[in-house]
Amino acid sequence: MAECNNPLWPCAMTGAASCLAGFEDITVVIHGSSGCYYYPTTLLHTPLRGTFIMENEVIFGSDERIREVMDGLAGAKNRVAIITTCVPAILGEDIQSMLASHDVILVDSPGFSGDVEIGYKKALEILAPEVNPETPGVNIDGVCLFDPFSRGNLLEVRRLLQLASVPVGTVFCADKLGGVKNAGAYTLGTNGNFASGVGESLGGMLGFGAIAETFAAIDRRFDEADVEPVLKEAGFEEERVVRACDKFLMKADPPTVAIFGGSSYAAFAAGTLRRYLDAEILCIGCRNEPAETSIPMKQVTGLNEVKDLIRLHDPDLVLGSSFEHSVARNRGFVALTPPIRENVRLAPRAIAGIAGTLFFVEDVLNECMDAKKKNAPKD
Amino acid sequence: MMTLRPSLSNSCRQGGCTLTGALSATTHVRDAVTVVHGPKGCTHHNFSLFHATNLDNDELILPDMFSTGLTDTEIIFGGEETLRQTLDSVTRGGSAAVFVLSTCIVDTIGDDIHAVCDRDYGVPVIPIPTAGFLGGSFQDGLNNALCAIADKAGLFSRTEKEVVAFCPENCNGVNIIGEKNLEFEVEENYAEVTRLLDGLSIPVNSRFIRNSAVKDLFRIGTARLNILRDEELRPVGEFLKKKFGTPYIVSYPSGLEGTIQFIRNVADAFGIAGGHAVAREQEMQEEMLAGFSDISGAEILFETTPTRESRLYSDEIILHLGLRLGNRGCRVPLPFSPPVGSTGVRRLLHRWRCAIHG
Repeated sequence: MAECNNPLWPCAMTGAASCLAGFEDITVVIHGSSGCYYYPTTLLHTPLRGTFIMENEVIFGSDERIREVMDGLAGAKNRVAIITTCVPAILGEDIQSMLASHDVILVDSPGFSGDVEIGYKKALEILAPEVNPETPGVNIDGVCLFDPFSRGNLLEVRRLLQLASVPVGTVFCADKLGGVKNAGAYTLGTNGNFASGVGESLGGMLGFGAIAETFAAIDRRFDEADVEPVLKEAGFEEERVVRACDKFLMKADPPTVAIFGGSSYAAFAAGTLRRYLDAEILCIGCRNEPAETSIPMKQVTGLNEVKDLIRLHDPDLVLGSSFEHSVARNRGFVALTPPIRENVRLAPRAIAGIAGTLFFVEDVLNECMDAKKKNAPKD
Repeated sequence: MMTLRPSLSNSCRQGGCTLTGALSATTHVRDAVTVVHGPKGCTHHNFSLFHATNLDNDELILPDMFSTGLTDTEIIFGGEETLRQTLDSVTRGGSAAVFVLSTCIVDTIGDDIHAVCDRDYGVPVIPIPTAGFLGGSFQDGLNNALCAIADKAGLFSRTEKEVVAFCPENCNGVNIIGEKNLEFEVEENYAEVTRLLDGLSIPVNSRFIRNSAVKDLFRIGTARLNILRDEELRPVGEFLKKKFGTPYIVSYPSGLEGTIQFIRNVADAFGIAGGHAVAREQEMQEEMLAGFSDISGAEILFETTPTRESRLYSDEIILHLGLRLGNRGCRVPLPFSPPVGSTGVRRLLHRWRCAIHG
């Protein structure tokens, strides 16, 4: 692999932690150094535990240290999940045997094995989700602690399912562990980059078109569902979006846009901006594996590549993370990708569901209008 | 919090690793790049952490780090060739020097980083041992980086003339060693130290290392006195003393009496009379304390359990202002790092007054 300047995406270990820590009855232990523990703890804003192994454990084995940490957790009702980082992963210790008397979940997810999505997927595979045909409702997928929109997405999709009188099955991954083995037969997605693959997919929740298709599928599967209120609300709100964007276009040219993020949100953003604002999407830099879309995506992993693309395309508007914002200070910016810093964000903001599209278009229009004001001749 | 040493007695703490400590220094050499030899995640974690901290501190400069991006292939077959290729690539980018930092996994698989760095790349390439848990704590990483860079100071000088211009007999300044670059009030603390030095007409020779350029790093050996940011940097102070013969003061001034003593110590080190500077500072402290007479006698309770360091300055303030400690007192903040100098105490007292009147 070629060298990478200022890598923009977390490692597989962080991905595994963001999956497992979403379950309220799992205590996550990062088996590794203090540095490996520190980052996911600050990023995910959730309590994690660590073994903080040192040279001694590398030479003589980490058996004693792991037992010490496990003893410290004894008595808690939560199940313990241990995530191995780079060094423990190559030491060859049989941790499962060491902890034979404990009911632990062991996830081997070292940073060198890949990016955040790899670790998330690996952890979910270890949990081995199962569909229980008796479980009512629809599972909600792609709710990953790493995603700053995940809480907002969950609240919004819960609201829409309730509006359609459809119960919620298991939320992957923000639920109780018991739900993993009793998932519903059907699943809808909020962020395709963190799809669980559990149950039959009924579609996604990014954008009005996807929402309509997904709820049409729900209507076909659930006799008791009443999707009409959702479709009615979606139609009403889409009309508001159309009017707001049309009003903007009466006075301004469509923005030229560079998008940086996970492929799922990036595709949604590009499609939405083209549909309602006739925006010119100059480039899409994907943090992960590019998706098949009408607008070509390119994988971008380091900050220099981001700088080069922005310099090359000279967009009016940049969508991405605070990293992109840092190198595009003189351009419009809308937050789409973690990490999102600088602004205080307390209320859960969605990008999925009806509210998600409204938030997104609202952010883009306000940013474009602000830019227009800034560029207006001064008195 | 980052200076905490790893404690095996608990499993839930906040603290950085050796790599983070070293990066906090090397990324402040603005015309150099830092290569982290390991998986991308280690570099991302630190880049993201520094980005967040810099934003919080209103610093918009992004650290420049490269990762060798090791995958399972290099972990199995060795990563030295990947490091060499990365160094070939980054040294073509026009940087004035390259710092190479190791990671836990690289030390575990036994890559010989020094051998790879010893090749001629056309610019100084400085290896720094920073293997996470193998190396120790955040503080160890910082100390390792400062010592490794100081050890190679000779590589950074450009001309004989520059060296002569900064030879010890021509220099009357001090070096500031190991500023906490991730600290929120790092510039304010530096300003307080320079205010005290100005009182003695002593200039700063070098900030080692903060917003530095490679060409300035060789000046580390040319000061008459080193002032360490705090006592944890004592190994660096000793290293510099041994290498360049420069004496050192173990920390920034802390508390009221500590500030007076700091002035005396610096004056003594330079062999000058510090009486006037001491008298002016004492007068300033008295005026400052008089300005807080409205909170005299108030009952307070510390928000956090006092440490040995915080006890020293807080006891002194309590004594001067006649405050009382009590369980029913107003909760006041007690910073982990002691306030620096008299102005640091003043800022703390403003916060205490807000808490007491609130």
